[in-house]
Amino acid sequence: MAASIAVREIKANCRKMAKQELNQHSDHIKELNNQRPKQPFFFLKPTSSILLPGDGPVLRPKGVNMHFEIELGLVMGKTVRNLDPDDTQGALDAIDSYLLAIDMTARNVQDEAKRKGLPWSIAKGFDTFLPISNSIPKSRIADPHNVEIWLSVNGQVKQQDSTELMLFRIPRQLSDISRVMTLEKGDLVLTGTPKGVGPVTTGDVMTAGMRVNGKDVEEANMKVEVEDRGGAYEFAET
Amino acid sequence: MASSPALTAIRSNCRKVICIGRNYADHVKELNNQRPKQPFFFLKPPSSILLPGEGPVLRPNGVNMHFEIELGLVIGKQVKDLNTEDDSEILQYIDSYLLSIDMTARNVQNEAKKKGLPWSIAKGFDTFLPVSGPVSKEVLADPHNVELYLKVNGEVKQEDSTELMLFRIPRQLSDISKVMTLEKGDIVLTGTPKGVGTVQTGEVMECGLRIGGKEVEEAKMRVEVKDKGGNYEFAET
Repeated sequence: MAASIAVREIKANCRKMAKQELNQHSDHIKELNNQRPKQPFFFLKPTSSILLPGDGPVLRPKGVNMHFEIELGLVMGKTVRNLDPDDTQGALDAIDSYLLAIDMTARNVQDEAKRKGLPWSIAKGFDTFLPISNSIPKSRIADPHNVEIWLSVNGQVKQQDSTELMLFRIPRQLSDISRVMTLEKGDLVLTGTPKGVGPVTTGDVMTAGMRVNGKDVEEANMKVEVEDRGGAYEFAET
Repeated sequence: MASSPALTAIRSNCRKVICIGRNYADHVKELNNQRPKQPFFFLKPPSSILLPGEGPVLRPNGVNMHFEIELGLVIGKQVKDLNTEDDSEILQYIDSYLLSIDMTARNVQNEAKKKGLPWSIAKGFDTFLPVSGPVSKEVLADPHNVELYLKVNGEVKQEDSTELMLFRIPRQLSDISKVMTLEKGDIVLTGTPKGVGTVQTGEVMECGLRIGGKEVEEAKMRVEVKDKGGNYEFAET
């Protein structure tokens, strides 16, 4: 499944990806033994981590325990700065299109970062650590808070939940982000992951998709293999 | 003083800004940090870049804002899985140099460190990356032998040579590129020496770089600090 032109353009135009961590679902917070945050926080993934459909496998670096996290992604259609959290229409108007994304995470690297108070950028930022689907036109999703997203590994369902379980909804997320950093046209916002995250290793195949009112959204279908990266990186203590 | 077309283009073409942490020994000490066994990095969003003439650095409500002067590089050619400690080998990947201030919300960062949270907010506010330049490779022949300085209201706060870097540029580019490919246009910030501190509304930062004792005009920077206002206020996460 090759990348549509729209998605190649998204990759070319995207300057940052901001993602709310611990946003979905209390159950995802519980499964990672995390604290439920008093307010949203977010982190950046570099655009170099984007993996387009048809561009090969996700590459697992040596010594890394790699986890999948399925997410609904928004592509920004215009500059957003200081958005009011109650401005629901403003938030929706600012979205150009949607996509499905897997926020691949080097879980052991992230655990070390959390323990030592270090940044998350390496754990979240490896090349190929953001496989995305083809672009999903806005018209396919009337309500982004009412979409079912799922991910399977080797045919076995691992994550499957509705975006209605988001702790902080999209207008609040866009408001929180845009009060700190201006969102620019082409930026990608990932809106959090539900419960069921877990490891994948070489040879595994992840498939993922989205349903609106029980019907498959074709453009969202994803199939990504996992392979070892090789190369010179090996996880070692910082 | 407005931004040169070259510098404006650098911002437009920038896809990521990646910064090394704790790369000067006395800076590690002054913040009571652990010296890392290997380099680590964090991202600043391109939206944080502030060009000359675009106004002041904006301090968000409740934020204790610190300055950190740094030498920056603009990547000229893709770097992937590089593995070298050789200074001469990396020149081919560098397009030009920048002077930059890695503005940091220190209290936000302290909370992030305590709670194991990301640094992206502390480092990523709008205007938190004032830059100047570019400085050509002809003018700046040896990036490990450049003196950086930053003054607040005329008083020198930071002033040190880049020869004090704990991890030199070849090692930085190698370590970054083994994790994430560096693309043409990316900016790499190479660490800050001792002397970081707070700035408040109304203060003026002036900074620059010297080679062989001589000021490099194109790198001179003057930035004012103002309160941001607006509806962000730092509160516990």
